[in-house]
Amino acid sequence: MTEFFAYAAMALPDLLQGTVVTLKLTAGALVIGLVIGLPLSLLRVYGRKLVQPVCTAYLTVFRGTPLLVQLFVVYYGLPEIGVSFSRMAAAFITLGCNSGAYQCEYFRGAIQAVSKGQMTAARGIGMSRFQGIRHIVLPQALRLVIPAWSNELIAMVKYTAIVFLIAVPDLMNKAKILSSQNFAPIQTYVLVALIYLVLVGFLSLVLHGIQRKLAVPGLDAGMEGR
Amino acid sequence: MKDKPMTRPVLRIENLCKSFGATPVVRDVSFDVHPSEVIVIIGSSGTGKSTLLQCLNLLHRPTSGRIFLEDQEITASGMNEDTVRRQMGMVFQEFNLFNHLTVLGNVTVGMTKVLGMPAEDAEKKAMNELERVGMADHRHKYPAQLSGGQKQRVGIARALGMSPKVMLFDEPTSALDPELTGEVLTVMQKLAAEGMTMIIVSHEMGFAREAADRVIFMENGRIEEQGPPDRMFTHPESERTRKFLSIITTGNTDPPIGKAT
Amino acid sequence: MTPFVTMLQFLLPGLGVTVSVTLIALGLGGCIGALMAVFRVYGNPVVKGLAVSYSVVVRAVPVVVIIFILFFVISAFIDLSPFMSGAIALGFASGAYQTEIFRGAILSIPQGQMTAARGIGMSKAKAIRCIILPQAFRVAIPSLINEVTLVLKDSSLVFVIGVPELMRRAQYASASTMEPLLAFGTAACFYIVLTLVLSRLLETVEKRFAVQF
Ligand SMILES: Nc1ncnc2c1ncn2[C@@H]1O[C@H](COP(=O)(O)OP(=O)(O)O)[C@@H](O)[C@H]1O
Ligand SMILES: [Mg+2]
Repeated sequence: MTEFFAYAAMALPDLLQGTVVTLKLTAGALVIGLVIGLPLSLLRVYGRKLVQPVCTAYLTVFRGTPLLVQLFVVYYGLPEIGVSFSRMAAAFITLGCNSGAYQCEYFRGAIQAVSKGQMTAARGIGMSRFQGIRHIVLPQALRLVIPAWSNELIAMVKYTAIVFLIAVPDLMNKAKILSSQNFAPIQTYVLVALIYLVLVGFLSLVLHGIQRKLAVPGLDAGMEGR
Repeated sequence: MKDKPMTRPVLRIENLCKSFGATPVVRDVSFDVHPSEVIVIIGSSGTGKSTLLQCLNLLHRPTSGRIFLEDQEITASGMNEDTVRRQMGMVFQEFNLFNHLTVLGNVTVGMTKVLGMPAEDAEKKAMNELERVGMADHRHKYPAQLSGGQKQRVGIARALGMSPKVMLFDEPTSALDPELTGEVLTVMQKLAAEGMTMIIVSHEMGFAREAADRVIFMENGRIEEQGPPDRMFTHPESERTRKFLSIITTGNTDPPIGKAT
Repeated sequence: MTPFVTMLQFLLPGLGVTVSVTLIALGLGGCIGALMAVFRVYGNPVVKGLAVSYSVVVRAVPVVVIIFILFFVISAFIDLSPFMSGAIALGFASGAYQTEIFRGAILSIPQGQMTAARGIGMSKAKAIRCIILPQAFRVAIPSLINEVTLVLKDSSLVFVIGVPELMRRAQYASASTMEPLLAFGTAACFYIVLTLVLSRLLETVEKRFAVQF
């Protein structure tokens, strides 16, 4: 056990460096996912019939294939047709587009969970459809989506763990280097698991706190994420 | 009709028809609504009362016919529906309060976002309207924290906040427990007394007797009969009206027609 | 079209491996999940604690980390193929998610079922096995089908320990043909077809059950 602690003390600085990259990736992916997912969900609910097949195709591809395939297509495949990204950019784009597909589904669910009467009442006091969406439906949907969105955040922390396969210097990448330098794979990955555990535990606590803070009576219908 | 000065009508409905697909729901309905007039529309479920009401403020587009709000034909092409709606208040059977806003927020949101009033003025006006319906003390509560009767009173205040020329009520008390209808009807009666022009779909006969200037009985999307409440309730001309009235006045507290659809 | 067909043919064995790994993992995960769920709902504080920590810890850690840990732990003791280690690791991870699925399903079975089973003289264990679990399993079916798609997609992660599944085959192909887009794109097509079939199945099942309940 003391051996493990000694190793941990030695490995931790490097791993924490990687953890920072992991967190940056998570944050970036969530933001990109939000920028893609929210408008996409609006298109899905309110958009014309014409755009639906495009939305469906996007969702099918990103929800129907492993993240790893997406990452390899973006990083190794796209250069073949002249579109190449740095490792970091490929990671952000892949994770972001993937999260966008999932976030779209969460937002869509939340928008549809807001009762139709809300829009009718909004139109009834003279709001345009756009105003109704912006001032009445979306504020409620955004609250309803918080639980699913929190789960997406947690899931994203874990999903970033594969980007080391294109040598992005995240937590897993540091672990891989350390484990082969020291011939200590088990200790290293147990340490990594502990870091993820702490990270996820901490984020869950924070998110729960935020959820309680933002709670509006009668508007807390839970929606689960992936 | 109770004696009303023959003024220019606030609302004039001419040969209004509305179909959903091939199904006609409102058929050739015409009537005038004069300033401060209170009209109660009755009729069994599914006869198109809600559809008619929602045509009046263009929540449904009429299939044919014309509607004038004061001098303006609101059914004319190129008319901005939103501008029309903000001049008519609507109160819903299911309240439809905005769940994410407080009582005060529910009343101000239309004034600030639709009419572009400064927040401070909107709040002042909203407090006035909330006083009118007796809900000022509850201004910081959310809809989920209110009883049905309280919700409906806020719904009325929300509509009043837009300073409407006409108020439309679609079965405002049918979703309420019987002991809660009184507080809402009292507010409506007060509005009527203050001279508000109102069109009300309701089966509250007591209220109709007290407050209505005219009762319209609808059947199958048509106006079957209309007249002042005294005459309508005591000597209806139409056999169908008589039948309908006998069903809802035989003390049957749970009539097949009370339910809105 | 021919390069695509050639690629399909080349990847086909990988598809077999992917499906096998997925099925083994699902079976193993199902056993673990059902057991842990029973522990969580009916167990004494010790086993309950064990089940809770298993589910919470495993679900907090990326699947790929679990694959690495179990792969190295297993190979320290016995000589197992990467295929088997990978399947076991995936099953261990899926077990934690299935614990939650089964727990929710068990909790959705009305209390009266247990009371009635005890009333006709069944032991608690027997009541769980013969009365509660069969019902819970039916409730859980939609979530379980969803779990199948998740495990199918996660099975691509055993790539990291060298299992020759779809992604590994695609990588060979990409290296030897210098056409990574074709290779990984074809792999993606395989996954899309599989997940579409599964979601079709899910719809059918949900419709059937919607009528039954
Ligand atoms: N949006 C709609 N689409 C199709 N049919 C409708 C729609 N709204 C109402 N209807 C139909 O129109 C008829 C009249 O409905 P409604 O106006 O709600 O009646 P009432 O309010 O008098 O009970 C009903 O048969 C109803 O099914
Ligand atoms: Mg109605």
